[in-house]
Amino acid sequence: MRLEVVLIASAAALAAGGTAMAHHSFAMFDQGNPIEIAGTVVEFRYTSPHSFILVDVKGKDGASTVWNLEGPSPSILARDGMSAKSLKPGDELVLTIDPLRSGAPGGAWALIKTKFKDGKSISGQ
Amino acid sequence: MQFRFPVCTIVVASVLAAAIGGARAHDEKKYPDLRGQWRRVGSAEWTPAGQKPPLTPEYQAIYDAGLKDQLAGGHGTEPSYMCLPPGMPRAMLAYTQMEVVVTQDTTYVLIDHINDNRRIFTDGRDWPAEIEPSLRGYSIGKWLDEDGDGRYDALEVETRHFKGPRAYDTTGLPLHSDNQTVVKERIYFDKADPNVFYDDITTIDHALTKPWTVTRTYRRSNDRRPEWLEMNCAEGNTHVHLGNENYFIGADGLLMPAKKNQAPPDLKWFKQLKKE
Repeated sequence: MRLEVVLIASAAALAAGGTAMAHHSFAMFDQGNPIEIAGTVVEFRYTSPHSFILVDVKGKDGASTVWNLEGPSPSILARDGMSAKSLKPGDELVLTIDPLRSGAPGGAWALIKTKFKDGKSISGQ
Repeated sequence: MQFRFPVCTIVVASVLAAAIGGARAHDEKKYPDLRGQWRRVGSAEWTPAGQKPPLTPEYQAIYDAGLKDQLAGGHGTEPSYMCLPPGMPRAMLAYTQMEVVVTQDTTYVLIDHINDNRRIFTDGRDWPAEIEPSLRGYSIGKWLDEDGDGRYDALEVETRHFKGPRAYDTTGLPLHSDNQTVVKERIYFDKADPNVFYDDITTIDHALTKPWTVTRTYRRSNDRRPEWLEMNCAEGNTHVHLGNENYFIGADGLLMPAKKNQAPPDLKWFKQLKKE
């Protein structure tokens, strides 16, 4: 019975993750253990079905790793005032992301948890 | 040269005659005004809040296993992550903007997403003797004037002849693999708000213990000239399925694991080169 409750809760959580998303579950991204990263935009892919921000993140040892971060579809971002021009290479961001469960440099970004380094919203709203 | 005028006249007259004789009048006033851009109201979860899907024990177990796989980084029984169209009934989650085009013979439900578009035949046809199964199925509909005021109030639709795999939503809530699903819909309009319509969607499927009805709601955008964004799933999909595993494409375009301690794919067909 406990397992059933857990799975029902999981289904609800997974579906909630899909609210803003579309064609696949975002359960592969660990929504229970978000992490904060800061870095520089390498590329903003305003693509369907989902957008991507490629962010160059410097590690403590100075080495840089480019993270591939999947986010909402352009149709959703557009309603929030975003466009393909909202981010450009070189922009400095601070993001709280849901990382890949594998530990590889990938994850999911969300508009509400992504800001410019100075704290301003990336949607301009 | 001297025959050009008479020949043209004959051609035009013939075309007009054919058009007048062959076409049936489409009285737009009889149909609800569905122009504009529609969007789903509520979440993209199929199961209404507080309900439990009426799955058979066998399919509940399949669903549970899929949810566990998703929590490990997989996709479970969710088939659309590789850009496979969701088909019916999931298409009516309206993941992206929706347009409804009503003609006398066919009502088109246009949801670009991953080719979620539907064609509902309202020309009075019966089920064809042979139909190629599809993810969206074959839909036959009938407009109803329920209050007898000369205007249609509802569209009843039945959809059959499916293929799979299909799931209801991103959790991978499964439909039966025999694809004998029947989806019955009643699409009707809010009497008080012309910018809202509802779809009572009843799914009859061997993975269910009983027919399951959920109601989806759609609202029209206030924007009279809304933007219709192009959707193209291949453009920005980083999810890859190889063998029995799913992987994620990294920023460098190379495969990354989606699950903890996941083995790389089997490369037996590649000539392995020794690194110097």
